[in-house]
Amino acid sequence: MEQPYIHILDPYPQQAPEQNRLHPFYDFVREGKLTTTRCKKCGTLPWPPRVVCPQCMSDELEWAEMPREGTIYTFTAQEAGLPPGYALPTIFALIDLPNGVRLLSVIEESELSEIKSGATVEFIVKHVPNDRVMPAFRIKR
Amino acid sequence: MRRVAVVAAGMTRFGVRQATYRDLIQEAGKAAFDSNKNILPKDIDSFILSSVFPERSVFQSHLACLAAESVGVRPHKFFGRVENMCGSGIVGIRTAYAAIVAGLSDLVMVMGAEKMNIPAPEEAVLNMMTGLDREWEGAYGLTAPPMFALAAQAHALKYGTTEEQLSRVSVKNHGHSKNNPFAQFQKGTSMEQVMCSKMIASPLRLFHCSSMSDGAAAVILASEERAKELTDKPIFIIGTGQAAHGYAVANFYRDMSHWPALKEAANDAYAMAGIGPDDIDFAEVHDCFSIAEIIAYEELGFCEKGEGGRFVEQGLSDYGGKVVVNPRGGLIGCGHPLGATGVAHAGEVFLQMRGEAGPRQVPGAKIALSHTNSGPGEHHILIYQKGF
Ligand SMILES: [Zn+2]
Repeated sequence: MEQPYIHILDPYPQQAPEQNRLHPFYDFVREGKLTTTRCKKCGTLPWPPRVVCPQCMSDELEWAEMPREGTIYTFTAQEAGLPPGYALPTIFALIDLPNGVRLLSVIEESELSEIKSGATVEFIVKHVPNDRVMPAFRIKR
Repeated sequence: MRRVAVVAAGMTRFGVRQATYRDLIQEAGKAAFDSNKNILPKDIDSFILSSVFPERSVFQSHLACLAAESVGVRPHKFFGRVENMCGSGIVGIRTAYAAIVAGLSDLVMVMGAEKMNIPAPEEAVLNMMTGLDREWEGAYGLTAPPMFALAAQAHALKYGTTEEQLSRVSVKNHGHSKNNPFAQFQKGTSMEQVMCSKMIASPLRLFHCSSMSDGAAAVILASEERAKELTDKPIFIIGTGQAAHGYAVANFYRDMSHWPALKEAANDAYAMAGIGPDDIDFAEVHDCFSIAEIIAYEELGFCEKGEGGRFVEQGLSDYGGKVVVNPRGGLIGCGHPLGATGVAHAGEVFLQMRGEAGPRQVPGAKIALSHTNSGPGEHHILIYQKGF
């Protein structure tokens, strides 16, 4: 094609205060803290975090730190067919935190042979393009 | 309540097609009108388009009237586009059904269309990411195969479901699509070929996955009164249901091997139809991945919970078994042009009930169930009955 194929799509979340009311989540990740929002009125702790409580519609929410360790419920190693720009393999896992929250995340910095349903994982910071971050996990050391 | 009948149906061949989005829509429209010579484009009063991401794949939004104009329809009662990821086709038919029941329309065309194979193939995979929770889960690179692999592992851990059993689904459905000239894959396959195919997302291999496909399908629905004027072979929608449990994968179910939203949608549809799973002659089931068909057997009530793997292994979901599942070849055999799939189910029902399904005919088919999902957490059901 003579004209350059326009091929720009940003899959990562917008994280700056001008773009996202939940920007403190990403600031906390940078500080090594995993958080979500807790409703001051009814105590609901939803995942992902919100600007309005999905139970009682209150907008009085506070940031609550979550446990740094959890256990793998199930996982998969994707070896082919990932979108462009993603590593092969990528290990996706559903991770249960002791506070009852379940997250879908990726497992990095770990040996594939150590990754098992029931294994303990710990929170790490994953760096993504344009100085942004996302939570990730590794097998507990 | 007004009754609603399918009075015409047609589809394109699915696959990697040398055709644009609009070419596909015109092919499917012609096939639908050709199936019932009593209906012309000018007779259609309403139009629903089911289509998932043409904004990305063909750089076009504002699609319902584009599709209608392409097939010569000028909708003047009820129209719009439906997008609900992989289940969009059934959601489009349900929407048209509701419009007829409400008295807003008498004759609706539902068109399902998707162009997935585009000049930049890696971008096609990126487009699939938009159907997940992109900010919180998709951004990790998550698309459908790993999402269903997480459920497959849960089912294997709890019920011992094996790779052989997953593979049986693929061999069966490729065997069926061999007899379907509109399917993407018409060569059949073997257990060896399935189990040696490339690992995509453990435990799911290439042949356990449906393919990205181009295609379109169209059906015409009519009120019972209008249907009487148009055909002596109406097929009635006698039940329907729909349920969602969460949007983020993390919030679907604590136990990913159970899909209660599917059970809920199916039970609502059975109750509305006044029938049960034993009354179903054949089922078009959303086998986007082989594990999804196994879990569907269980939640639809074709077998006990946890027995889905053995159900397919014993041939109970094949011809001569308890219920023929995916006689068309399923998504695994036919390909999965997202918005077209649920409409193509209706096309298979149309052929089977009329006894026009050729070598894949289910003998004496009178009641059929169509199921699509939009991920493990969202399910859509229609039940059709032969009306002649
Ligand atoms: Zn609240």
